[in-house]
Amino acid sequence: MSSPFDQIIITESGESLEESELSLLETLDHVLNRGLVIAGEITISVADIDLIFLGLNVMLSSVETAQEVLRRREQKSE
Amino acid sequence: MKLYVYCLAEDVDEPSNSLRGVAGEPVRRLDAGNFSVLVSDFAAEAVLVNQENAVAHAEVVQSVLTQTTPLPFRFGTLVTEQQLESYLSARREALESKLGSVRGCVEMSVKIIADPDSSEASGPNNNPQTPGTAFLSEKRREILGSETRAAEAKRVASWLEDRIGEVVRETRINTNPTDKLILAAAHLVKREKVPEYRTRLAEARHERPELHFLTSGPWAPYSFANIDLEFKTQFGVS
Repeated sequence: MSSPFDQIIITESGESLEESELSLLETLDHVLNRGLVIAGEITISVADIDLIFLGLNVMLSSVETAQEVLRRREQKSE
Repeated sequence: MKLYVYCLAEDVDEPSNSLRGVAGEPVRRLDAGNFSVLVSDFAAEAVLVNQENAVAHAEVVQSVLTQTTPLPFRFGTLVTEQQLESYLSARREALESKLGSVRGCVEMSVKIIADPDSSEASGPNNNPQTPGTAFLSEKRREILGSETRAAEAKRVASWLEDRIGEVVRETRINTNPTDKLILAAAHLVKREKVPEYRTRLAEARHERPELHFLTSGPWAPYSFANIDLEFKTQFGVS
Protein backbone atom coordinates (compact mmCIF):
# COMPACT_ATOMS: atom_id res chain seq x y z
CA MET A 1 0.00 0.00 0.00
CA SER A 2 1.15 3.54 -0.47
CA SER A 3 1.43 5.19 2.89
CA PRO A 4 -0.80 8.19 3.48
CA PHE A 5 1.83 9.54 5.84
CA ASP A 6 4.70 11.78 5.51
CA GLN A 7 5.87 11.20 9.02
CA ILE A 8 5.59 8.75 11.83
CA ILE A 9 7.65 9.48 14.85
CA ILE A 10 7.98 7.35 17.90
CA THR A 11 10.93 8.79 19.70
CA GLU A 12 13.12 11.81 19.82
CA SER A 13 15.49 10.65 17.13
CA GLY A 14 12.77 10.86 14.50
CA GLU A 15 13.49 7.37 13.24
CA SER A 16 10.53 5.61 11.80
CA LEU A 17 10.75 1.94 12.48
CA GLU A 18 8.05 -0.53 11.58
CA GLU A 19 6.57 2.21 9.54
CA SER A 20 4.37 0.10 7.34
CA GLU A 21 2.80 -1.72 10.27
CA LEU A 22 2.19 1.43 12.26
CA SER A 23 0.86 3.35 9.31
CA LEU A 24 -1.58 0.57 8.62
CA LEU A 25 -2.78 0.62 12.23
CA GLU A 26 -3.09 4.39 12.19
CA THR A 27 -5.07 4.13 8.97
CA LEU A 28 -7.42 1.58 10.52
CA ASP A 29 -7.82 3.72 13.62
CA HIS A 30 -8.94 6.69 11.52
CA VAL A 31 -11.06 4.85 9.00
CA LEU A 32 -12.84 2.51 11.41
CA ASN A 33 -13.24 4.72 14.46
CA ARG A 34 -13.86 8.14 13.02
CA GLY A 35 -15.60 9.85 10.18
CA LEU A 36 -19.01 11.17 9.31
CA VAL A 37 -21.83 8.83 10.24
CA ILE A 38 -25.20 8.92 8.58
CA ALA A 39 -27.23 7.97 11.62
CA GLY A 40 -28.60 4.49 11.51
CA GLU A 41 -26.82 3.51 8.34
CA ILE A 42 -23.76 1.86 9.80
CA THR A 43 -24.37 -1.72 10.68
CA ILE A 44 -21.35 -3.77 9.86
CA SER A 45 -20.21 -6.88 11.52
CA VAL A 46 -17.58 -9.40 10.67
CA ALA A 47 -18.03 -12.77 12.31
CA ASP A 48 -20.01 -11.14 15.12
CA ILE A 49 -17.28 -8.68 15.98
CA ASP A 50 -18.77 -5.30 16.45
CA LEU A 51 -17.02 -2.60 14.49
CA ILE A 52 -16.46 -0.42 17.51
CA PHE A 53 -14.83 -3.34 19.29
CA LEU A 54 -12.65 -3.92 16.28
CA GLY A 55 -11.74 -0.25 16.36
CA LEU A 56 -10.80 -0.41 20.03
CA ASN A 57 -8.51 -3.33 19.39
CA VAL A 58 -6.88 -1.50 16.53
CA MET A 59 -6.10 1.40 18.80
CA LEU A 60 -4.59 -0.91 21.40
CA SER A 61 -2.58 -2.73 18.75
CA SER A 62 -1.01 0.43 17.42
CA VAL A 63 0.09 1.35 20.92
CA GLU A 64 1.41 -2.14 21.53
CA THR A 65 3.34 -2.10 18.28
CA ALA A 66 4.91 1.19 19.23
CA GLN A 67 5.88 -0.16 22.65
CA GLU A 68 7.37 -3.24 21.07
CA VAL A 69 9.56 -1.06 18.88
CA LEU A 70 10.71 0.88 21.93
CA ARG A 71 11.53 -2.32 23.82
CA ARG A 72 13.53 -3.73 20.96
CA ARG A 73 15.43 -0.54 20.62
CA GLU A 74 16.29 -0.50 24.33
CA GLN A 75 17.55 -4.05 24.13
CA LYS A 76 19.76 -3.15 21.20
CA SER A 77 21.27 -0.20 22.98
CA GLU A 78 22.16 -2.24 26.07
CA MET B 1 -28.02 -1.45 -5.80
CA LYS B 2 -26.49 0.60 -3.03
CA LEU B 3 -23.77 3.20 -2.92
CA TYR B 4 -20.65 2.92 -0.84
CA VAL B 5 -19.83 6.47 0.24
CA TYR B 6 -16.27 7.70 0.84
CA CYS B 7 -16.36 11.42 1.38
CA LEU B 8 -18.12 14.66 0.69
CA ALA B 9 -16.65 17.89 -0.64
CA GLU B 10 -17.77 21.11 -2.25
CA ASP B 11 -15.62 21.05 -5.32
CA VAL B 12 -13.71 18.04 -6.43
CA ASP B 13 -12.48 16.68 -9.75
CA GLU B 14 -13.91 13.57 -11.34
CA PRO B 15 -11.80 10.72 -9.90
CA SER B 16 -9.34 9.03 -12.19
CA ASN B 17 -10.52 5.91 -14.02
CA SER B 18 -7.76 3.89 -12.46
CA LEU B 19 -8.83 4.70 -8.87
CA ARG B 20 -10.26 1.60 -7.20
CA GLY B 21 -12.24 1.69 -4.00
CA VAL B 22 -13.72 -0.81 -1.60
CA ALA B 23 -14.03 -4.33 -3.07
CA GLY B 24 -12.00 -3.16 -6.06
CA GLU B 25 -14.94 -1.14 -7.41
CA PRO B 26 -14.37 1.95 -9.54
CA VAL B 27 -15.03 5.29 -7.88
CA ARG B 28 -17.27 7.98 -9.32
CA ARG B 29 -18.42 11.43 -8.39
CA LEU B 30 -22.04 12.08 -7.62
CA ASP B 31 -23.18 15.68 -7.54
CA ALA B 32 -26.08 16.77 -5.37
CA GLY B 33 -26.71 20.46 -4.92
CA ASN B 34 -23.46 22.13 -3.95
CA PHE B 35 -21.95 18.88 -2.78
CA SER B 36 -19.83 16.33 -4.58
CA VAL B 37 -19.72 12.87 -3.07
CA LEU B 38 -17.31 10.12 -4.06
CA VAL B 39 -19.08 6.78 -4.26
CA SER B 40 -18.80 3.26 -5.64
CA ASP B 41 -21.73 1.22 -6.87
CA PHE B 42 -22.05 -1.65 -4.49
CA ALA B 43 -24.13 -4.77 -5.02
CA ALA B 44 -23.54 -6.66 -1.76
CA GLU B 45 -25.56 -6.06 1.41
CA ALA B 46 -22.58 -5.38 3.65
CA VAL B 47 -18.96 -4.38 3.37
CA LEU B 48 -16.34 -6.84 4.41
CA VAL B 49 -14.19 -5.30 7.12
CA ASN B 50 -10.69 -6.22 6.11
CA GLN B 51 -7.39 -4.53 5.67
CA GLU B 52 -7.71 -4.20 1.91
CA ASN B 53 -11.07 -2.48 2.08
CA ALA B 54 -10.10 -0.18 4.93
CA VAL B 55 -6.97 0.89 3.09
CA ALA B 56 -8.95 1.38 -0.13
CA HIS B 57 -11.37 3.66 1.73
CA ALA B 58 -8.46 5.67 3.14
CA GLU B 59 -6.80 5.96 -0.26
CA VAL B 60 -9.91 7.29 -1.98
CA VAL B 61 -10.30 9.92 0.76
CA GLN B 62 -6.60 10.74 0.57
CA SER B 63 -6.85 11.29 -3.20
CA VAL B 64 -9.35 14.08 -2.53
CA LEU B 65 -7.29 15.58 0.28
CA THR B 66 -4.61 16.50 -2.25
CA GLN B 67 -7.15 18.87 -3.93
CA THR B 68 -9.40 20.03 -1.14
CA THR B 69 -10.43 19.11 2.40
CA PRO B 70 -13.37 16.67 2.31
CA LEU B 71 -15.56 15.35 5.10
CA PRO B 72 -14.72 11.65 5.19
CA PHE B 73 -17.50 9.20 5.94
CA ARG B 74 -16.83 6.40 8.34
CA PHE B 75 -15.83 3.09 6.83
CA GLY B 76 -18.81 0.99 5.85
CA THR B 77 -21.33 3.66 4.89
CA LEU B 78 -23.74 2.01 2.46
CA VAL B 79 -26.87 3.83 1.38
CA THR B 80 -29.27 3.96 -1.50
CA GLU B 81 -28.96 6.93 -3.80
CA GLN B 82 -32.28 8.20 -2.51
CA GLN B 83 -31.19 7.94 1.13
CA LEU B 84 -28.00 9.80 0.32
CA GLU B 85 -29.84 12.57 -1.48
CA SER B 86 -32.36 13.03 1.27
CA TYR B 87 -29.58 13.08 3.88
CA LEU B 88 -27.69 15.72 1.90
CA SER B 89 -30.71 17.94 1.46
CA ALA B 90 -32.01 17.50 5.02
CA ARG B 91 -28.60 18.23 6.59
CA ARG B 92 -27.37 20.70 4.01
CA GLU B 93 -26.79 23.58 6.42
CA ALA B 94 -24.99 21.51 9.01
CA LEU B 95 -22.81 19.89 6.37
CA GLU B 96 -21.97 23.22 4.74
CA SER B 97 -21.03 24.68 8.07
CA LYS B 98 -18.92 21.61 8.89
CA LEU B 99 -17.13 21.88 5.54
CA GLY B 100 -16.55 25.55 6.27
CA SER B 101 -15.01 24.74 9.64
CA VAL B 102 -12.44 22.33 8.15
CA ARG B 103 -11.76 24.30 4.96
CA GLY B 104 -8.07 24.62 4.21
CA CYS B 105 -7.20 22.37 7.15
CA VAL B 106 -5.88 18.87 7.68
CA GLU B 107 -5.98 16.59 10.69
CA MET B 108 -2.79 15.72 12.51
CA SER B 109 -2.76 12.90 15.00
CA VAL B 110 -0.71 12.59 18.19
CA LYS B 111 -0.72 9.62 20.50
CA ILE B 112 1.38 9.80 23.63
CA ILE B 113 2.43 6.43 24.89
CA ALA B 114 3.49 5.40 28.37
CA ASP B 115 6.95 4.02 28.85
CA PRO B 116 6.82 0.27 28.14
CA ASP B 117 8.37 -0.52 31.54
CA SER B 118 5.87 1.46 33.55
CA SER B 119 2.95 -0.63 32.35
CA GLU B 120 4.49 -3.92 33.49
CA ALA B 121 2.72 -3.47 36.81
CA SER B 122 -0.45 -4.59 35.13
CA GLY B 123 0.85 -8.13 35.50
CA PRO B 124 1.69 -10.95 33.14
CA ASN B 125 -0.87 -11.24 30.46
CA ASN B 126 0.54 -13.73 28.02
CA ASN B 127 -2.22 -16.28 28.09
CA PRO B 128 -4.04 -16.70 24.86
CA GLN B 129 -7.34 -14.98 25.47
CA THR B 130 -10.59 -14.82 23.70
CA PRO B 131 -11.42 -11.33 22.48
CA GLY B 132 -14.08 -11.09 25.19
CA THR B 133 -11.68 -11.94 28.03
CA ALA B 134 -9.03 -9.64 26.67
CA PHE B 135 -11.56 -6.87 26.47
CA LEU B 136 -12.73 -7.40 30.05
CA SER B 137 -9.18 -7.59 31.45
CA GLU B 138 -8.35 -4.40 29.64
CA LYS B 139 -11.46 -2.77 31.12
CA ARG B 140 -10.49 -3.95 34.59
CA ARG B 141 -7.02 -2.48 34.28
CA GLU B 142 -8.53 0.67 32.94
CA ILE B 143 -10.66 1.12 36.02
CA LEU B 144 -7.88 0.27 38.47
CA GLY B 145 -5.51 3.15 38.54
CA SER B 146 -7.65 5.15 36.20
CA GLU B 147 -7.67 8.14 38.53
CA THR B 148 -3.89 8.49 38.63
CA ARG B 149 -3.69 8.10 34.90
CA ALA B 150 -6.49 10.55 34.29
CA ALA B 151 -4.66 13.17 36.36
CA GLU B 152 -1.40 12.53 34.49
CA ALA B 153 -3.22 12.62 31.14
CA LYS B 154 -4.74 15.99 32.03
CA ARG B 155 -1.33 17.40 32.93
CA VAL B 156 0.17 16.13 29.69
CA ALA B 157 -2.79 17.43 27.68
CA SER B 158 -2.52 20.88 29.14
CA TRP B 159 1.25 20.93 28.59
CA LEU B 160 0.75 19.91 24.95
CA GLU B 161 -1.97 22.53 24.49
CA ASP B 162 0.38 25.14 25.88
CA ARG B 163 3.13 24.19 23.41
CA ILE B 164 1.18 23.80 20.18
CA GLY B 165 -2.20 25.41 20.90
CA GLU B 166 -1.38 28.52 18.88
CA VAL B 167 -1.06 26.66 15.60
CA VAL B 168 -4.05 24.39 16.17
CA ARG B 169 -7.50 25.41 15.10
CA GLU B 170 -9.46 22.73 16.92
CA THR B 171 -8.62 19.77 19.14
CA ARG B 172 -10.33 16.46 19.86
CA ILE B 173 -8.67 14.81 22.75
CA ASN B 174 -9.16 11.55 24.55
CA THR B 175 -7.37 11.69 27.87
CA ASN B 176 -8.66 8.46 29.25
CA PRO B 177 -7.94 5.68 26.83
CA THR B 178 -5.89 2.88 28.47
CA ASP B 179 -2.98 2.25 30.77
CA LYS B 180 -0.63 2.26 27.80
CA LEU B 181 -1.90 5.22 25.93
CA ILE B 182 -1.70 8.43 27.93
CA LEU B 183 -3.63 10.46 25.45
CA ALA B 184 -4.80 10.47 21.87
CA ALA B 185 -5.27 13.87 20.28
CA ALA B 186 -6.48 14.94 16.87
CA HIS B 187 -5.52 18.45 15.82
CA LEU B 188 -7.15 20.41 13.05
CA VAL B 189 -4.39 22.49 11.50
CA LYS B 190 -4.42 24.98 8.63
CA ARG B 191 -2.42 23.53 5.76
CA GLU B 192 0.04 26.39 5.74
CA LYS B 193 0.61 25.98 9.49
CA VAL B 194 1.59 22.32 9.24
CA PRO B 195 5.36 23.01 9.09
CA GLU B 196 5.15 25.21 12.18
CA TYR B 197 2.97 22.65 13.92
CA ARG B 198 5.66 20.03 13.29
CA THR B 199 8.42 22.29 14.51
CA ARG B 200 6.56 23.02 17.70
CA LEU B 201 5.74 19.39 18.26
CA ALA B 202 9.38 18.46 17.75
CA GLU B 203 10.40 21.08 20.33
CA ALA B 204 7.79 19.81 22.75
CA ARG B 205 9.04 16.24 22.33
CA HIS B 206 12.53 17.43 23.05
CA GLU B 207 11.34 18.87 26.36
CA ARG B 208 9.81 15.62 27.57
CA PRO B 209 12.09 12.77 26.48
CA GLU B 210 10.31 10.37 28.88
CA LEU B 211 7.16 10.51 26.77
CA HIS B 212 6.87 8.57 23.54
CA PHE B 213 5.02 10.06 20.63
CA LEU B 214 3.26 8.39 17.76
CA THR B 215 2.38 11.08 15.30
CA SER B 216 0.80 10.80 11.90
CA GLY B 217 -0.72 13.00 9.27
CA PRO B 218 -1.84 14.84 7.34
CA TRP B 219 -5.24 13.17 7.32
CA ALA B 220 -8.61 14.23 6.06
CA PRO B 221 -10.50 15.53 9.12
CA TYR B 222 -11.84 12.12 10.22
CA SER B 223 -12.13 13.27 13.84
CA PHE B 224 -13.84 16.54 12.96
CA ALA B 225 -16.36 15.33 10.40
CA ASN B 226 -19.40 14.45 12.44
CA ILE B 227 -22.38 16.73 12.57
CA ASP B 228 -24.29 14.49 14.97
CA LEU B 229 -23.33 12.40 17.94
CA GLU B 230 -20.10 14.30 18.50
CA PHE B 231 -19.75 13.05 22.04
CA LYS B 232 -20.63 9.45 21.32
CA THR B 233 -18.42 9.03 18.31
CA GLN B 234 -15.53 10.69 20.04
CA PHE B 235 -15.67 8.23 22.88
CA GLY B 236 -16.31 5.19 20.77
CA VAL B 237 -19.85 4.55 21.87
CA SER B 238 -22.66 4.38 19.40
